[in-house]
Amino acid sequence: MTTVGLPAASPTAFGTARLLGGVTHGGRADLTTHRRVHGPQHHRTLDELAADASRVRLLGRGGAAFPVATKLAAVPVGPRTQVVVNGSESEPASRKDRTLMTLTPHLVLDGALAVARALRTTHVTIAVHDEAAYASLRAALEERTRREPVTGRVDLHRQPAGFVSGEVRAVLRGLDGGPAVPPSRRTLPSVSGLHGAPTFASNVETFAQVALLISLGPAEYAAVGDPEEPGTTLLTLLGDTRTRGVVEVPTDLPLDALVPGEGGPVLLGGYHGRWVHDVVGRTAARPGLRAAGLPLNAGVVARLPRDVCALAEVTAVARWLAAQSAGQCGPCLFGTAAAARDVGELLRGRAAPAVEARVAGLVRRGACAHPDGTAAFVASALEALPDELAEHRRHGTCGRPYGGVLPLDGAG
Amino acid sequence: MSRAARIEVDWTRCDGHALCGLLLPENLANDADGFPLIHRAEVDPANLRHARRAVSACPALALRLERT
Repeated sequence: MTTVGLPAASPTAFGTARLLGGVTHGGRADLTTHRRVHGPQHHRTLDELAADASRVRLLGRGGAAFPVATKLAAVPVGPRTQVVVNGSESEPASRKDRTLMTLTPHLVLDGALAVARALRTTHVTIAVHDEAAYASLRAALEERTRREPVTGRVDLHRQPAGFVSGEVRAVLRGLDGGPAVPPSRRTLPSVSGLHGAPTFASNVETFAQVALLISLGPAEYAAVGDPEEPGTTLLTLLGDTRTRGVVEVPTDLPLDALVPGEGGPVLLGGYHGRWVHDVVGRTAARPGLRAAGLPLNAGVVARLPRDVCALAEVTAVARWLAAQSAGQCGPCLFGTAAAARDVGELLRGRAAPAVEARVAGLVRRGACAHPDGTAAFVASALEALPDELAEHRRHGTCGRPYGGVLPLDGAG
Repeated sequence: MSRAARIEVDWTRCDGHALCGLLLPENLANDADGFPLIHRAEVDPANLRHARRAVSACPALALRLERT
């Protein structure tokens, strides 16, 4: 029996622990520890912060990998402007954001407060789903009330579960009391976000990276990692990987150091990501991966053990993805369900002649990226698993059991 | 004077009535469920009249013509 399941509780740093600095034996860094490791909170003007972010080519660590400097420059400065930390981490396999919020909440707060100060606003909102993360951030804010009073407000909100609800525009709608589903118009949060005000919204790790960039300075920040995307990044590893759970790695770390040689197929970039045979020659840097058509998204890397049925894993996730459709857009509602049914047919060794057309019919036909991400997941699995598909076609099964390596309940 | 325009679908509104494919076959067709498949988003100036007719015929108000 393969040991699988949720990542271990204790995160690991390969090389330099930066984001995870101060986290010893998986313990939470309180304000005293945080200040000892990272020093006092410093502030930067918007121009300085944007220049530093540009110099280290800081990219958003949610899904879209958008340049932080560009995003900073796009948001109007002033007291109406909102800063939103998207801590919904709705990807069930990902644990990195809740790890940061739970173990290093002050790093996240330093980053959010620095961005707010640079944008000359005092409005910071954090949307969280996970209970432990919420409790830790609350405790962190209480620690600060006593010792480092925050100017302005930090609103902490519990966010409903759901994959599509974690999309930033869905989060903003939910925070405004609406349904936590993506809006139909492609409005930019920088123009009209929270309460209709200009909004700088980004993922939890992005804010933690901003705090590191300020405390280390751009030169030291860029002293490790790939020149295309210097620094470190968090990944969540699961399945048959060298270590399991959340890891902090320099961005130039070869991925086969984490997902070694002989083994089953690898999923890069989580459930909106892509299946590949192996990760030889790849590093954790997003620009290089993206150039190869492999978005890292929120940093989930999974390797299936050889003794589980890969097609059953793919089918289970495809069904889960179909169930996650908000049901707003017809091609997604019907198309994701049909694609999941087709994959289920292939699993049983039956023919699914329309599967490729169905997957193609999901691309760019929705209000958000869910149908596109689902299409990428299914299409790349069909490409990366020719032997498994042939086995199932021939015998109706590969003889290996479903392992439940890819979790389906994390967002629930 | 004619201007360039793009046909766009508000996917949250579209109910798959499938009139658009009949009225604007130059740019889109409807799939088996009636939802449009856009094969070309840019509308030729010569087809603008067809495009406008398709937009106004959509019962769900899901079709838009965006100036580019």
